[in-house]
Amino acid sequence: MYKFGLSFVMAFMVLFTSCTKKQNFKEKVLQINVSAKVKGLDPVNAGDTYSSNEIARVYEGLLEYHYLKRPYELIPNLAEAMPTVSDDELTYTFKIKKGVMFHDNKCFPGGKGRELKAQDFVYSIKRMADLNNNSTGWWLLDGKIAGLNEWREKYNGKPANYDDKVEGLQALDDYTLQFKLTTKYPQFLYSLAMVYTFAVPREAVEMYGEEFLNNPVGTGAFMTGVYTQSNTIEYTKNPNYRDVRYPTEGSEADKKKGLLKYAGKKLPLVDKIKVNIITESSTSFLKFKNGEADFSAIPKDDFNEVVLPDKGITDAFAKRGISLEITPDLDITYIAFNHDDPLFKDNVKLRQAMNLAYNRVEANKLFYNNTAIQAQTIIPPGIGGYQEDYENPYHEYDLEKAKKLLAEAGYPEGKGLPTINYETTATTVSRQMSEFFSKSMKDIGINIKVNTNTWPQLTQKTKKRQAQMFGMAWLGDYPDGENFLQLLYGPNASPGPNGSNYNNAKFNSDFERMKNMQPGPKRAKLYAQLAQRVAEQAPLILGVHRTSYVLKHAWIKNYKFSTFNAGHAKYYDVDLEKKKEVFDSGILTKELETKTASN
Amino acid sequence: MSNNWNYIIRRILYLIPVLLGVCFLVFILFNVTAGDPVLMLLGKHGSPEQAAALREQLGLNQSWFMQYVDVVKSAFTFDFGRSWSTKQEISSMIAHGAIPSLTLSLPAFFLSTVTSILFALLVAFYRGKGIDLFIRVTCIAMMSISSLVYILVFQYLLAYKWGLFEISGYEFGFPNFIYYVLLPIIIWVILSLGPDIRFYRTLILDEIYQDYVRTARAKGLTEKKILFKHVLRNAMIPIVTYTVVQLPFLLLGALLLESFFSIPGLGGMTINALNSSDFPVLKAITILSAIAYIVFTLIQDIIYTIVDPRVKLQ
Repeated sequence: MYKFGLSFVMAFMVLFTSCTKKQNFKEKVLQINVSAKVKGLDPVNAGDTYSSNEIARVYEGLLEYHYLKRPYELIPNLAEAMPTVSDDELTYTFKIKKGVMFHDNKCFPGGKGRELKAQDFVYSIKRMADLNNNSTGWWLLDGKIAGLNEWREKYNGKPANYDDKVEGLQALDDYTLQFKLTTKYPQFLYSLAMVYTFAVPREAVEMYGEEFLNNPVGTGAFMTGVYTQSNTIEYTKNPNYRDVRYPTEGSEADKKKGLLKYAGKKLPLVDKIKVNIITESSTSFLKFKNGEADFSAIPKDDFNEVVLPDKGITDAFAKRGISLEITPDLDITYIAFNHDDPLFKDNVKLRQAMNLAYNRVEANKLFYNNTAIQAQTIIPPGIGGYQEDYENPYHEYDLEKAKKLLAEAGYPEGKGLPTINYETTATTVSRQMSEFFSKSMKDIGINIKVNTNTWPQLTQKTKKRQAQMFGMAWLGDYPDGENFLQLLYGPNASPGPNGSNYNNAKFNSDFERMKNMQPGPKRAKLYAQLAQRVAEQAPLILGVHRTSYVLKHAWIKNYKFSTFNAGHAKYYDVDLEKKKEVFDSGILTKELETKTASN
Repeated sequence: MSNNWNYIIRRILYLIPVLLGVCFLVFILFNVTAGDPVLMLLGKHGSPEQAAALREQLGLNQSWFMQYVDVVKSAFTFDFGRSWSTKQEISSMIAHGAIPSLTLSLPAFFLSTVTSILFALLVAFYRGKGIDLFIRVTCIAMMSISSLVYILVFQYLLAYKWGLFEISGYEFGFPNFIYYVLLPIIIWVILSLGPDIRFYRTLILDEIYQDYVRTARAKGLTEKKILFKHVLRNAMIPIVTYTVVQLPFLLLGALLLESFFSIPGLGGMTINALNSSDFPVLKAITILSAIAYIVFTLIQDIIYTIVDPRVKLQ
């Protein structure tokens, strides 16, 4: 009996411990790790980046960003061409591509996907406006489309009638879609490349009801079955995907990197996508090193193991065929003053003094491994309004000047200044950042009390205008300076995106005038001037524009970083021969001599 | 009807007032003192108008009494509605999360309990000798190391370097899930061994110094027989108390292990709900945990009568 038990245990161990899942070298499977839970696959709920990216594998919109071109450029996706715009810039008319089919699904007669029509966009955009759906994307179209707000209000508290016409949102025929705007709003086109406005078929929504979010039916390059809230999502290539080709235009740099080798090839290039949701960065990085993920960010604590001081990659990783892509992200970090507080509202010199006392260079080394770009204004590089040669006079670390301004503000050496409350979350890095800020301010005599909160507590405090100071980061919704300048626009005060509640009449009127101008050099220049003017008023303590460091394996082809990467999986390819070669060599788990980077 | 059945029915009926009390506490916690969840749910571009509409839609403008009635209704019908954050049906979220949690926690708990009791019997048998000292010191050494160290080292060495286990992930269905839960189970067992062996050793030693053991020895029974037949049986009451009371919490899984091994269990779900002020999910978890606790204490009482015939349910 004893021997039998022992043999059973040993057999069990041998069976399972030696049989970990093997790599698939027969199919091109893209392996992607994501770091947060996906909430479901309904475009109207695309409130977070992670859910948006998953939704965009299945669904598509009228427009998308060109895969290779920078600055970011909108191009037609389900639209046949860019829209015709009326002279008064209020009417946008789109022609829809013919022959685009929804995925096969039982919601359609006979289970065969039907053709996409202009009416599908009318329906999908109304869904976003429908109060019953509570879409966090409503801000994109709030007050922008003639009659849509009225339609939304009409069905407040009752089921919406989707057949009820909206003047500014109409399908003129099966392939013509017309939007009438209430006011000039060139950013409107960006909203049509955002996941919230992607096309869904009415049949699927009506058939699946509240479970529609788990039963995605789109027109995208990939399709998936019922979403089961698991930590793995698998997609397969859409066999009926229309004829979409890899871009033929790109920069010289793209050409050098081999990003144009696939020009004109039919998309998608891979057979499957496997998305693993892994919240722990150390686990995710191990999966990448083991070849179970094709790309990876670099966990903060592993940075020196991977990146050399000259921003090259260490030998150990290079020998594994891993390469590094460094690209500025479209974002900004900042510390907000609450301008409801009279202490900050009218005291420009106090705000400027605190800006000068904050050692951003040191903060960059401590918290971003010296990879971020110093933010001179609120507009990040890569979009109109960013001016590379501009230096914010209150951005340099200058304690003497800070002390002088503090005295001029009425608080020499901080005397008479009450202790300032700084709100932060309880994560290790947030606490370290807060302590660093507190220490910086202490150097000019300002006392900061750091209060740690849970994320919901911090949100409550900022949205209720109760936080005196707090740290924040903003990732652009679309590549337009307006999306960053609006962080200081008075009417956007809490609970809106202007968490600092800054409200300056001159800034507000300038912003209103500029945001409605057509994009171009003239508007970019005005954006830059406005951003510089307001930066010198120090409404925030500007931090950095973060830089994305992405590692990728040798077998991945065509990867190019984009802040707006929703739907980009169709451009990536997997070189199966290369992959097999790397795995057969066993190099991924071998101990290699590492030329370790040091700061 | 026997006394036992009377007792069981009475205890089940007690569930009603207890559940009403739990509902009241849940209501006070989430509806009265927890602040405004709408601000979390609005997203970064929210407006006051949207906040008002959302409050209305979620029933947060109802009277306190009606909100309490809603909590009670959900507890008695098990219809917890949909998550505010993910919009998923809560019962389906719990069903999907409970399976991975239980496939990890149940075998791990069973193995760690059996192993710990066996080791405890062993050290009790050799009490005061070298092996007893060695195991006790090892237990303390194991307990002194942070659970994160076990997770990170085992994951790196056993899964990544030696390729013996999956690094992380989960697949539903037998036997697929086993590939993914083996390593976390091993870590769970190792983490439990230290405190559990010490606890069970104390229980068994308490029994060993009882009069009936001395009598048994005087009657010439072997030490092995005394330990396994008499001591273990008498130690069963505290063992049952300790183990059964832990069972309801197994449902909640093991947050750290689930997180590092990417197992989509209830632990991760609860943390996500906490981070997004997803009160309906938190209410459901709290109420179900309370019910499970009550049910398992009843089961505990029934087991007492099996392991110790002197105990009667009245």
